[in-house]
Amino acid sequence: MTRHRGRGIASVNYPIGMNLGGDPSQALVHSNPSGKFTVALSSIDLGQGMKSVTRQICAETLGVPVEDVYVDTADSDTGPHCMGSFASRGTHRVGNAVMAAAREARGVMMEAAAEELEVNAADLETDGRGNIHVKGAPHRSISTKDVAIAAQFKQGKTISGRGIFLVPLSDVDPETGEMSPATCYAHACLVAEVEVDDETGEVDMVRMDSAYELGRALNPRLVEQQLVGGAWMGVSHALYETPEPYYPEPVHGPRDFVEYLMPGPGDICPHDIAVLERPAPDGPFGAKGPGEMCANPVLPAVANAIFNAVGVRIDDLPITPEKVLRAIKAQGGARPQPRR
Amino acid sequence: MPVTVKTFTSTHDAAAALSSDRSARYLGGGTLVMRALNEGDISISTVVRASDHAMTRIDATGSRITLGAGVTFARILVERDLAFLHAPARSIGGPAVRNMGTVGGNLFAPVPYGDFTVAMLALDATVSVQGGLGGREIALDEFLQSRDRQTGVLVLAISFAKPGSAEAFRYRKIARIKPKGGAVITLAAHLPVNGSRIVGARVALGSMAPTPIRARAAERALEGRSLDASTISAAAAAAVEGTSPGDNALASAWYRREIVGVHLKRLLSGQE
Amino acid sequence: MAKTPLQFRHNGRDVAIFVDGGTNLLVALRELIGDMTPKFGCGQGGCGTCSVLIDGELHLSCLTLAETVAGRSVETLDGLKEGPNLHPLQRAFADNFAAQCGYCTPGMLMAAKALLDRNPQPSRAEVVEAISGNICRCTGYEPIINAVLAAASGGRARA
Ligand SMILES: Cc1cc2nc3c(=O)[nH]c(=O)nc-3n(C[C@H](O)[C@H](O)[C@H](O)COP(=O)(O)OP(=O)(O)OC[C@H]3O[C@@H](n4cnc5c(N)ncnc54)[C@H](O)[C@@H]3O)c2cc1C
Ligand code: FES
Ligand code: FES
Repeated sequence: MTRHRGRGIASVNYPIGMNLGGDPSQALVHSNPSGKFTVALSSIDLGQGMKSVTRQICAETLGVPVEDVYVDTADSDTGPHCMGSFASRGTHRVGNAVMAAAREARGVMMEAAAEELEVNAADLETDGRGNIHVKGAPHRSISTKDVAIAAQFKQGKTISGRGIFLVPLSDVDPETGEMSPATCYAHACLVAEVEVDDETGEVDMVRMDSAYELGRALNPRLVEQQLVGGAWMGVSHALYETPEPYYPEPVHGPRDFVEYLMPGPGDICPHDIAVLERPAPDGPFGAKGPGEMCANPVLPAVANAIFNAVGVRIDDLPITPEKVLRAIKAQGGARPQPRR
Repeated sequence: MPVTVKTFTSTHDAAAALSSDRSARYLGGGTLVMRALNEGDISISTVVRASDHAMTRIDATGSRITLGAGVTFARILVERDLAFLHAPARSIGGPAVRNMGTVGGNLFAPVPYGDFTVAMLALDATVSVQGGLGGREIALDEFLQSRDRQTGVLVLAISFAKPGSAEAFRYRKIARIKPKGGAVITLAAHLPVNGSRIVGARVALGSMAPTPIRARAAERALEGRSLDASTISAAAAAAVEGTSPGDNALASAWYRREIVGVHLKRLLSGQE
Repeated sequence: MAKTPLQFRHNGRDVAIFVDGGTNLLVALRELIGDMTPKFGCGQGGCGTCSVLIDGELHLSCLTLAETVAGRSVETLDGLKEGPNLHPLQRAFADNFAAQCGYCTPGMLMAAKALLDRNPQPSRAEVVEAISGNICRCTGYEPIINAVLAAASGGRARA
């Protein structure tokens, strides 16, 4: 028996969102009489952190504590329109819409505060702790709560804002067909190291090292969480999961989670991640988004690592032990490639 | 659809209830029966249980070991006298499945399951069953060959001689998912040694046929020999003989045939 | 068909319900008792999100015939918190970002509790084994393993 180590690399250049119909998302922000703010979205949080990051964006833009913002993504019937949670677009598209809405709401809030403090709104600033005061004179201050109460019960104003993000349509050059399908791109590079058993075709993940350039990481822990979990899913797609194990024959499909293969907690390997922040000019506070890109580079990197280990090139997913073993037998044995 | 649940204190009455009703199913740990009920299996209209303590007894003190059919894998794992069975017991399910699933239910578990039964088969176990008419002892090998026709019987216990030494019994389950996963194949070997020669070699395989089977050609290659490299190669080469694996979501029949000898070689030579 | 009366302890409180023959414990907990913390993921035993403790042992409630818990003690995630305070495992899951969509979390927490109740200082391999019957689609398991290890060492990071 021989186990062969191999290393493979893959890089991706990943568009954020898409261009169909301008890929719009909308957000509405309003204050409640308590001085807390609600962000209404119909962009669904599936666990990727949409609520957390839009809450941060809204609080930062309004200049209020993050605790004072509540994000409601409850209902796509009643919420403002969103294209959806896909294409790595959440932070960028929805974040931009929230930022626009929060900016408008902030304008109203500052006008209302100015009326209460009897100053010019342009002379006011927020302290990020729930107060608005005159620049250079922190004692001439009013809480956002009191502003909200005054707007509601005295001034008859709604502190609210609307926001939409729409990608400018990119015309197609009739001569060359050239167009710009996206406005910003994230990037990643991942090195996978595997061990291949040349008698059974089994592939074990040994380690992964990656670098992700995703604009500004608005919430570094959420970004890390995405990258760790997404890489696991990348490994799953590379080596394990399929609803049709005998594709194109639709037979012996998995009937349960024992048969639908996904790496278990004993199959995971160390993964060292470097996050590179190059703020995007059109991103909310410079953010692009990790999104789908966190899974994608794993697949080609693993395929390349297997080639490096035993010299077989499998381009059909998932790369099962059977496919590896058949290929090794077809070429008359493992042919380890120069170690990289 | 609701079913009738009947619980009996005597195994005799439980056996009678099972044998008299084709749509009655015995509930061991329930890991397979409850799934069938959840999925609306209409072939089951009665669920039979037996609360007799004999069903959950472990007798591991002497040279012959008896496990009640209702013994769970978790119980085996805390039994020091059964250390040689910890590897097969630990290879099953996750912790919850091991707390629930029983030795008796495992005898009926279809591919990709039945890992513990593979170990039992290599130990030449005997199954005690209670039918409508009375009890009897039946060799596990024979029991498995007629498993489809065993539906109306109650398994009371399974017994086997304790291996003479810890090294005499070996077990290996090949799964795609770690640490828990359905078997690609399962192997167990019992190689009692007299002097330096193997006497009474048993090799059992799981997922290489519709039920666990003995690899008789491999057993013949081992019998009367010492466990050296050439014996191991001969046994490995013979491992696939007489098997009839199928395709499933975990692996194809082709793959199973290709690797069964490889893994038997590793099992016999003590390679990881 | 007549229903069967069933009594057991649910998170330390006696409960009495009537169940149809063949009802599983998950349905009994969610639909008859109103404890929605154990989740339905598959009803086949494969995902683990319905995990509960029965007399302190980890069981899959979807594969447990409800009647078999008569007179026994059933613990669910709902009983984990201590008054208004989160259980140390819950705290550790939050601190370690061990949940994304959260669907696996109830089962993961119960599996982790079953482990720590018996083995307060587990190794990484023991944690991996303890959660091996629970599938997580989001986290890649690493944060969950780290959370359980952190809870075991009282919140101090471990090598
Ligand atoms: C997620 C998951 C993972 C699993 N992993 C594994 C695994 O790795 N390896 C493995 O081998 N199995 C596995 N299983 C299958 C199953 O849990 C085990 O095979 C277990 O041993 C079945 O026992 P049980 O008592 O739960 O069976 P039950 O569901 O109670 O019964 C199964 C069958 O056996 C019959 N039966 C049970 N006891 C008796 C008896 N005393 N007399 C007559 N008939 C009886 C029942 O009527 C039924 O037809 C897994 C199941 C699940 C859900
Ligand atoms: S719902 Fe019980 S294991 Fe999936
Ligand atoms: S957090 Fe989504 S399944 Fe585990």
